[in-house]
Amino acid sequence: MLVALLSSQYTRFAALAEAWLSLGATAFGIYQDGRPLVYWPASHRLMRPSLMAPILRGDEELGEIRVTGVKGEAFQQRLRADAALIAYLLQLEEELQLMTADLVISQDQQLALYRLTQSMRDLVTVEEILRAVLAEAIHMLKAQGGFAAFEPLAPDTPLLIQQPDGVLPHAFTWELYRQCSTSERLIICDEASSETAAMGVRSLLHVPIRIRGRVMASLGLVNRSGGFDAPGIKLACALADQAGIQVERTLLYQEMFQQTRMRAEMELARRVQLDLLPRTLPRIAGLEIYAESRPARQVGGDFYDFIVEVERPFIFAVGDVTGKGMSAALLMTMTRTAIHSKSQFMPFPTPESVMRQSNEDLYNDFTRVGVFATAFVGQYAVGSQRLVYANAGHAPVIYRPVGGEAVLLGAESTALGILPDAHFRNQSLRLAPGDVLVVATDGFSDMCGADDTTFGIERLLDLVNRLHHLAPETLAMVLFEEVDRFGQGREQDDDQTIVVIKGAAM
Amino acid sequence: MDMRTYSTDEIHILEISGRFDANTVQPVATWLEQTTSTPGARVLINLTDTTFVDSTALATLVQALKRCQQMQGDLYLCGMRHPVHKIFELTRLDKSFNIFSDKDCALQAFVK
Repeated sequence: MLVALLSSQYTRFAALAEAWLSLGATAFGIYQDGRPLVYWPASHRLMRPSLMAPILRGDEELGEIRVTGVKGEAFQQRLRADAALIAYLLQLEEELQLMTADLVISQDQQLALYRLTQSMRDLVTVEEILRAVLAEAIHMLKAQGGFAAFEPLAPDTPLLIQQPDGVLPHAFTWELYRQCSTSERLIICDEASSETAAMGVRSLLHVPIRIRGRVMASLGLVNRSGGFDAPGIKLACALADQAGIQVERTLLYQEMFQQTRMRAEMELARRVQLDLLPRTLPRIAGLEIYAESRPARQVGGDFYDFIVEVERPFIFAVGDVTGKGMSAALLMTMTRTAIHSKSQFMPFPTPESVMRQSNEDLYNDFTRVGVFATAFVGQYAVGSQRLVYANAGHAPVIYRPVGGEAVLLGAESTALGILPDAHFRNQSLRLAPGDVLVVATDGFSDMCGADDTTFGIERLLDLVNRLHHLAPETLAMVLFEEVDRFGQGREQDDDQTIVVIKGAAM
Repeated sequence: MDMRTYSTDEIHILEISGRFDANTVQPVATWLEQTTSTPGARVLINLTDTTFVDSTALATLVQALKRCQQMQGDLYLCGMRHPVHKIFELTRLDKSFNIFSDKDCALQAFVK
């Protein structure tokens, strides 16, 4: 240090020597451990100095100043003052060097953090981010290894990354994580316990990573030479904060991506569902018919269908596949196709045979994916004034005969896909002028109103009793309005499908 | 919807309170999938405090019943309130499930 100071401040030491020489000294020099470092004049090595003063840092002697040719207490005092001044300069020089070193390290760390932030922009998974942060933390803090733990919300699987693999037993790292997430504080361990020593751990730093306001991840570093000091801990905390921000950003991105994908899927499901519905209402002598389906935002599996073939009875179907979204739309397509093809191509289809054959087609697939479909199939021969029907677990179906009260028609068999050999049976009812049949789906009866009450079947029965005189389209419109009013602006939870058939004069 | 699960005499019991519908069905479906996948599992679902079931909830119960039967197990229902029982009647699911008036009756049926 003294040599470095002499080198950097040589001209000032030379000026000091000149001053002593002008006071009458014959030589001036700086010595260390008995050896000359510098002296003036160049020919005089001050082997027998007349005065000496040590350059001290506390009790440690860093060197000494020697002069020859002058004596006395005044000169001695002056020499001691010069030595003290040089000692103070040395101290300042040392502090400056330490500060410079700290500044360089801090700049290096800032640069590394910046590089890390930049590189993390390209990372799209939480695992990639934690892996990058862990690698950088090990590198910057000069630790022997480390780990990063992440506990996402269920049902996603927790994630543990170790560098190098197996640096600590998994159970131990998760135990550390639990402690960290409960206390929300970092853990520092600079002395190995018997447990940690057995794992080869001499020092350990474990920092919580806060994501969305709570600890969901952590960063652990193991075995840093000299332990984890305050700047090291501060740096690890900064890295953990950075990791938390990046993980939050990634989760947000993933959620937005997921939502966009779901919206696209829902839109596709809605299009599939609406495109498969008949585009026109059939004109059947002796009947007035209206049908409409309103898909919910989260599309369900409702459908209605008309099968009109020359010289064959008119057949219609209403169905509802359990579930929501694209899967429900696809299964609805299967059900509609099964019923439609049986109705169209069987030589003498009846509601019972159409249901039985459709159930045989669908049972295995429906059982595999865990769904079922309620269905109502009706058949009307022109001039018969009778409807033959089969009801596979479908509700609500309401019949209001002329001069009578509206009644709920229960199903005679379970829904399609529940039993391999369900007992479907043809039923029949009169459909003379004025008789009304309303086949709706549970989107009507299950509509939620205030206090989580449901619209229910009684309200539907009451409405059909009051509105039976209306044309089918008007009756359906009023039912939609009443259900909407009951929902008080709530979003429709399920599809609402309705077919209204009314007996009419030929 | 709240669900509570416990076991007594090797019978797995699930109690569902509140609305059991498409929005709340997932934890029930997960529990039923685990429980009914065991050969010979005996499962009781207590619907005493269930105020509403929709078609998605019914499908979950049907799926669990089928799985249980495939594994030679039993799945019983008990304690249905009138509106919930009405839904089972309308869909004829009352013919597919073994339904008991209360938990004690169902537990006795397991013993027989």
